[in-house]
Amino acid sequence: MKQLLFLCALFGFLSWNVISSEDTLADNYAEVEVKDGGTVVGNVKYMGDLTTLSLNLYADFELPETSKTATEKLTVSMINHGIKYAIVSITDITRGKKKAIPAIHPIIDQQRNNFIPHVTAIPAGTTIDILNGDEELHTVHTSTIKNQPFNLGTTYKQRISKTFEYPETIKLTCDLHKKSYAWVVVLDNPYFDITDRNGYFEICDIPPGTYKFQVWHEELGKLEKEVKINPKELSNIEFVYSQY
Amino acid sequence: MKPKALLSKVGLWSATAAASAALVIGIAPITAKALNIPTEVTEDGKNTYKKFCSACHGEEGKGDGPVARSMLPKPRDFTRGAYKFRTTPSGSLPTDEDIYRTISYGVPNSTMIPWDILTEQQRASVIPVLKSFSEAFEVRKPEAPVAVGLEVRPTEKTVAEGKKIYEEKLECWKCHGVEGRGDGPSAAEQEDDFGFPIKPFDFTTGKFKGGNSSRDVYLRFTTGLNGTPMPSFAKELTDEQRWCLTHYVISLIKPEETSK
Repeated sequence: MKQLLFLCALFGFLSWNVISSEDTLADNYAEVEVKDGGTVVGNVKYMGDLTTLSLNLYADFELPETSKTATEKLTVSMINHGIKYAIVSITDITRGKKKAIPAIHPIIDQQRNNFIPHVTAIPAGTTIDILNGDEELHTVHTSTIKNQPFNLGTTYKQRISKTFEYPETIKLTCDLHKKSYAWVVVLDNPYFDITDRNGYFEICDIPPGTYKFQVWHEELGKLEKEVKINPKELSNIEFVYSQY
Repeated sequence: MKPKALLSKVGLWSATAAASAALVIGIAPITAKALNIPTEVTEDGKNTYKKFCSACHGEEGKGDGPVARSMLPKPRDFTRGAYKFRTTPSGSLPTDEDIYRTISYGVPNSTMIPWDILTEQQRASVIPVLKSFSEAFEVRKPEAPVAVGLEVRPTEKTVAEGKKIYEEKLECWKCHGVEGRGDGPSAAEQEDDFGFPIKPFDFTTGKFKGGNSSRDVYLRFTTGLNGTPMPSFAKELTDEQRWCLTHYVISLIKPEETSK
């Protein structure tokens, strides 16, 4: 009987611990049901000079195999000047749709000395799996302040799961292959999207009101725009970066 | 249940509790118990920091004191909460005892001397001052120290096994060099989180920065060195493999280099 009581007490204490630790995750975003939300679709463009970007600094010298991987830091579509991997988000929203944390962990894979995908956007609290698909050693190195930083060596087929609890823009690097890096952008609300290869994005179920929209790109920086959202209406916005 | 049986059960329980309590007190490090590390910033700590630490580490702990310019490796910038020598897992904040240890023993091969000229109480009083420089200590808590397994006896076989890990599995030679002189092919391009160039460690000198015992060497590649390119291999190696690698790394010390 005594042991049973002890076990009960222990279990109670543990479960209380779990509950209280979930409560401490502070955020200033309230989840409500959005009935007549508006939708924003749009395009992110780069209208600057493209010729400077294609400068070949290596001038046709024979490169080692590891340096031949293509960099994805600025991918501009030839059809409509759309930019891939720009993140559009609403910065000043305090209440809205449910923050859906993906049950299947997003994956960042290291293949041929590159991180794939190059940019990942996630709501805070998401776990990311970082893999190594190369038959050689890589490291995954972050230097964050709020989220726990890490620096881990990974061998072939290793899988590392990491949870990002706080909104931050995080750079993942590999210290053995200095050219490769990836970005993980952690956001505190679910209203964000990452542009496709033609620069298109879509954010839906936004409660009516006026909001600040922000676009972030690793090379081109940030742009901001204020947009009024009407109920059940489709608004069209366009972000244009004029110079590099 | 009969009263006698109950009595014996209670007796057994309390005996176990007493024994485990005694064991816990016995195992805990002496420094942690004998020393009272303050949790709040004290006037004494501020004065000690200003007098002895700020010349290198800067008044605000940014590692930018007046004499820091001429130093490499650079004095630690405390604002990021990245401490190299810890017993906690990769990326975690250090425990108070870890900071106390680094202050007391210093860091060989750098300008950080062992501060045993200060009293124990003075050294302890600096710890909350260092922690107050970084907001990381407000958001996160240090994780539990990693478990160090029972040491494997160093033999020729374990050293050979360690050599295999060093050269084939983890490719440590890419930075630290085949002979452990810190001259591997990736050595030149390494830099730390603050953007300063950093040299991979030269094992032949034998002056290990985090301490010379095999436990210290074992801890370095289990916990990694925060703020530097040195990663943690806690997931990659079993406990036994880590001891083998420890023995191999220690075997790279060249006696003629240690006197330099």
